[in-house]
Amino acid sequence: MLILRPKLSFEVHVEAEITPDLAEMDLKDVLNFEVYYGKLVKRLGDLFDVETVGEGKRVILEGDFSRVKWIGKGMKDGEIVVRGDVGQHCGAYMEGGKIIVEGNADDWLGTEMRGGEIVVKGNAGNRIGCNFWGEMEGVKGGKIIVEGDVGSYVGEKMVDGYIEVGNAGDFVGTEMKGGVIVVRGNCGYVGWDMKGGEIRVGGRFDLPPSFVEENGVWRGDVNVGGKGVIRKL
Amino acid sequence: MKVSCPFCGNVCDDINFDGEVEREKLCPLGESKLTREKKRIPYPMVEGERVSYDEAIERAVEILLNAKRPLLYGWASTVNEAIRLGVILAEKVGGVYDTTSSVCHGPSILATIEEGLPGGTLGQAKNRADVVVFWGCNPAEAHPRHPTRYSVMVKGFLVEGRRLRKTVVVDIRKTATALLSSKFYMIKPNSDFAILTALRSIINGNDSAVPNEVGGLSKSQLREFAELLLSAKYGVIFFGMGATHTRGQDRNVEALIKLVQTLNRHTRYILQPMRGHFNVTGADAVACWEAGYGYAIDFSRGYPRFNPTEFSAVQLLRRRDCDAMLVVGSDPVAHFPFDVVRHMAKIPVIQIDPHYNLTTKVANVVIPSAISGIEAEGTVYRMDGVPVRLKKFRESEFWSDYEILKAMLERVVERKGGDVVW
Amino acid sequence: MVSLEVRNGFVIDPMNGVFEVKDVFVKDGRIVESLDKPEMVVDAKGKVVVAGGIDVHAHVAGGKINMGRKMRPEEMRYPRFKSDNLRSGVGRVLLTSPAIGYEYARMGYTTVVEPAMPALYSIHTHEELDSIPIVDKMALPLFGNWHFVFKFVKNDEIEKLSNFIAWVLAKTKGFGVKVVNPCGVEAWMFHGNVYSLNDTDPLFGVSPKEVITGLISAIERLKLPHSLHIHCNLLGIPGNYEVTLETIKLTRRFENSERQVMHVTHVQFNSYAGESWKDMSSGAEFVAKEVNRNNVTVDMGQVILGHATTMTADSPFQYELFKIFKTKWSNLDVELETGSGIVPVYYSPKVRVHSLMWAIGLEIGLLVDVDKVVISTDYPNGGPFYSYPYIATLLMSEKFREEEMKRIANVERYSILPSLSEERTLEDVVKMTRVNPARILGLNDRGHLGENAKADLVIYDLPPEPNPRDYESILKALSNPSLVLKDGKIVVKEGRVVKHTWGETIWVKRDYDEELIGDELEDFFNYYTVQRDNYGVPHVRREVVLC
Ligand SMILES: [Zn+2]
Repeated sequence: MLILRPKLSFEVHVEAEITPDLAEMDLKDVLNFEVYYGKLVKRLGDLFDVETVGEGKRVILEGDFSRVKWIGKGMKDGEIVVRGDVGQHCGAYMEGGKIIVEGNADDWLGTEMRGGEIVVKGNAGNRIGCNFWGEMEGVKGGKIIVEGDVGSYVGEKMVDGYIEVGNAGDFVGTEMKGGVIVVRGNCGYVGWDMKGGEIRVGGRFDLPPSFVEENGVWRGDVNVGGKGVIRKL
Repeated sequence: MKVSCPFCGNVCDDINFDGEVEREKLCPLGESKLTREKKRIPYPMVEGERVSYDEAIERAVEILLNAKRPLLYGWASTVNEAIRLGVILAEKVGGVYDTTSSVCHGPSILATIEEGLPGGTLGQAKNRADVVVFWGCNPAEAHPRHPTRYSVMVKGFLVEGRRLRKTVVVDIRKTATALLSSKFYMIKPNSDFAILTALRSIINGNDSAVPNEVGGLSKSQLREFAELLLSAKYGVIFFGMGATHTRGQDRNVEALIKLVQTLNRHTRYILQPMRGHFNVTGADAVACWEAGYGYAIDFSRGYPRFNPTEFSAVQLLRRRDCDAMLVVGSDPVAHFPFDVVRHMAKIPVIQIDPHYNLTTKVANVVIPSAISGIEAEGTVYRMDGVPVRLKKFRESEFWSDYEILKAMLERVVERKGGDVVW
Repeated sequence: MVSLEVRNGFVIDPMNGVFEVKDVFVKDGRIVESLDKPEMVVDAKGKVVVAGGIDVHAHVAGGKINMGRKMRPEEMRYPRFKSDNLRSGVGRVLLTSPAIGYEYARMGYTTVVEPAMPALYSIHTHEELDSIPIVDKMALPLFGNWHFVFKFVKNDEIEKLSNFIAWVLAKTKGFGVKVVNPCGVEAWMFHGNVYSLNDTDPLFGVSPKEVITGLISAIERLKLPHSLHIHCNLLGIPGNYEVTLETIKLTRRFENSERQVMHVTHVQFNSYAGESWKDMSSGAEFVAKEVNRNNVTVDMGQVILGHATTMTADSPFQYELFKIFKTKWSNLDVELETGSGIVPVYYSPKVRVHSLMWAIGLEIGLLVDVDKVVISTDYPNGGPFYSYPYIATLLMSEKFREEEMKRIANVERYSILPSLSEERTLEDVVKMTRVNPARILGLNDRGHLGENAKADLVIYDLPPEPNPRDYESILKALSNPSLVLKDGKIVVKEGRVVKHTWGETIWVKRDYDEELIGDELEDFFNYYTVQRDNYGVPHVRREVVLC
């Protein structure tokens, strides 16, 4: 198991594709792992203190990681625990394992993830569980749980998997094809142009004028011949 | 000779010049730009002190090379030739290229990424359109010659003027354009998305999904509107900030695009954003062919990456994720939110602009330039992407944007090595 | 460096009848007979030496590809070249302009034709061409749906039409005459299309047949170096091979001893038999026969299974595609002149129709006379241009085709490809990528290595007659030239771009009398939204004018 701590307060954001794989590498290689500080190519050891503590495919991030992007990108197994906030793109393209963020997460949490689990104890930003710009498919599997609230654009073009959040902003599950999104609180528009999948909302929400009510649930989006379901929790 | 007007996205190219600009064909906006002199930046400055162009450029290059993530912003008010060097400069200094699109028609671009853009040239509106819709835009005031040149009164090949053309305005208040139009739909603020979706549902035969009232329009009004749209042989929908800067933003534009896709199953329709600055379209297009994306492009890894919610000027400044800034032909201090401007005050700022503005006050290096379309020539793209040449019709002691950026690039390559690639 | 000797290479130069070990000398960017003291000697022992490749049809510049980039950022997420000493370049199939130049050079291509320039957007097309490094380029303005053309054709005013073409080429710095779905694009402005050569456009009432023959008459009268370049009607629709045959037959009225009178482009997309997507089959055999017996040339329009972006001036066809794929769709109606559309596609090896398209392209490549066919993908419609080495290898190796057919849907009942044992030789491939394109375009300074030819030269690590069964080595060698010279300068070494240079833009000038078409210009410019004074391209980076 590794514990990483920032050595300095970062002037611009850092890109560090830290995965639990680091915990199984030689310390020398961990320190030499390539990270980006603006346009400067740096070694992990230049920017972070690294401490090895016992066994296990785990990485603990202590201190301020709110300006560190791409944590857990594409990870396949193991665990990352962020003891605070984390920057953009956390858990993007993740395939397995678990990320726990004890503080808040930024935008682009779990982009196009295929498996694994992300738990955020605080809030998260916009575009969580989405596709990246222009891609035709979003999240294909796995689970994102945000205990607090999130911003707009949740689960765009989601194909499969499970996303659960507190309150959400506008546009939940746009062009969704499958999977389940749960909004425990309130949110804006849901399900526009959805072809399949299910959105469950606990509080208030806005329904686009392209769904038809049937036995207490709304089906649509009729404009794309969709078989999606929107229901109250 | 004829000169072109470097003010709005119309880029009217029929302005007579005979030693002096003839006012007859100018709109008030063009007249102020072409005939009235605003306060010029008198000479290059570093930290408020007068210096030579060489010294200012040297200092600017030093700032950009030393920064970890320099932001190169603006570009909508200069010519393609200069923009192209700007993109290459951003690449060579490992910085970020962003344009004023990110605070104006960014939502249109995001929607285009989702759906593409079913469009056409302004001449299609002029020659063929028998139904013209202005959605959340007010050309009578923002693009004054648009109605007479392209869209309302103009005599076209198949549509001989105003009488044969139905014009429809959709807005939250009765605008000057609404007064020109044959039909006006007053809608509730922030209801564009719902209304557009309701229209699409009706046209698709899914009337039952539409409630009795949407955004201030009754269901029968919506049906009537849908019929009106379908009555066109060739329809054009123009849209503006009323659609892009209210609830829904890019989703509103996406809803417009999807409506136009649907309308094309029945008749012909095209969609056109009413873009503001005279070359915001060029700033986007040039970056696309040089770097693959139109704006919000980061070169820190030695190749371009795109993300408007990460690499746009507002995001970078708000997140304190840039440590130097070059502003070309724009005034972010005047237009950006306060929390964003605050970071500008903390980092070195370089300004290239003909005119003194609020950004000049925070700029550490100020480089005055010739005015594109008056003192410098070049190509710009009209709002529909049609290229128009801007002419030079007045001599100037100031360097053009192109010359300034070329000198900067030469210096960067001199320091870093490499081929001359521009 | 101004002089160089390529020593001991096996030179394949079919235009000059050379197929032997021979030294080649380069001075000041041209091939010369001999050199006393070359400043540099390149040893090409055991390798073949050929001229630079020429692409007759790839949409590399202008509003269409650029809109493709804008609407498909997912295409641009593939870094190819890092900034370092050169430019950065990215893209999957759609590439940035610097990447286009570099990728062409990397596979030994040194000239490319952008085949669809709307005249109103010609400044844009040339701005992009000016941003593509290394290669020489040309652009073909679009004529097939232009109101001027309809009017002159309707009134049978071929002299005026010739004048107009010359005026357009001068204004747009254009190279030749392109036609896309003649009359169909104008019909699309009325929500229609045309479905045969005798259908008419709704506005002027002229037919594709009249437009095609009228334009050929004018082109031949002007003695343009390149013939009519046509994207036929009904492209991409099952059963369209018949209209292709009829279109080809229209050339029988015309004679030209120096070159073809019609170039039918990306003919794969116009060689479909059957009546629907369900029973679509190959019509390539019929098309190939008709091509072989007429004064017509073709390029393949090969489909590469995988991602692509369709973009053509055939706007009604593009809308049909959008209805099928339901993905993104862009359209651009260009006032008075033309239109265009863009739709992303994924050619799946699992889909029969897509696999069949792949097979039909190869049938064309194998069945058309070797002097009449050129390798192309109609980039980016059929796939990336950087797959030309893959296409060449497929044409050279039956075994490779068999291997590839194992991974695609079965096409046996719909295509004769599985039964074709033809194999093109390396010399054939040189014809299909160098000799034929140069002749088709009417350019005699390239496509060969004779005296005074441009020193665009490529060295491949291949024997002159490679073993077709060892297709892996062929593909590898064709994809990674040992050396590429552009205008005598080394631009690529061992498959890596080492130098950034700028090629030339070639356009064709013919005398015209603007007075003769003055009334028509005056009349139509009332309906344009740009001034006549402002119409056209003021300058390009480096131009060569063919007079
Ligand atoms: Zn083509």
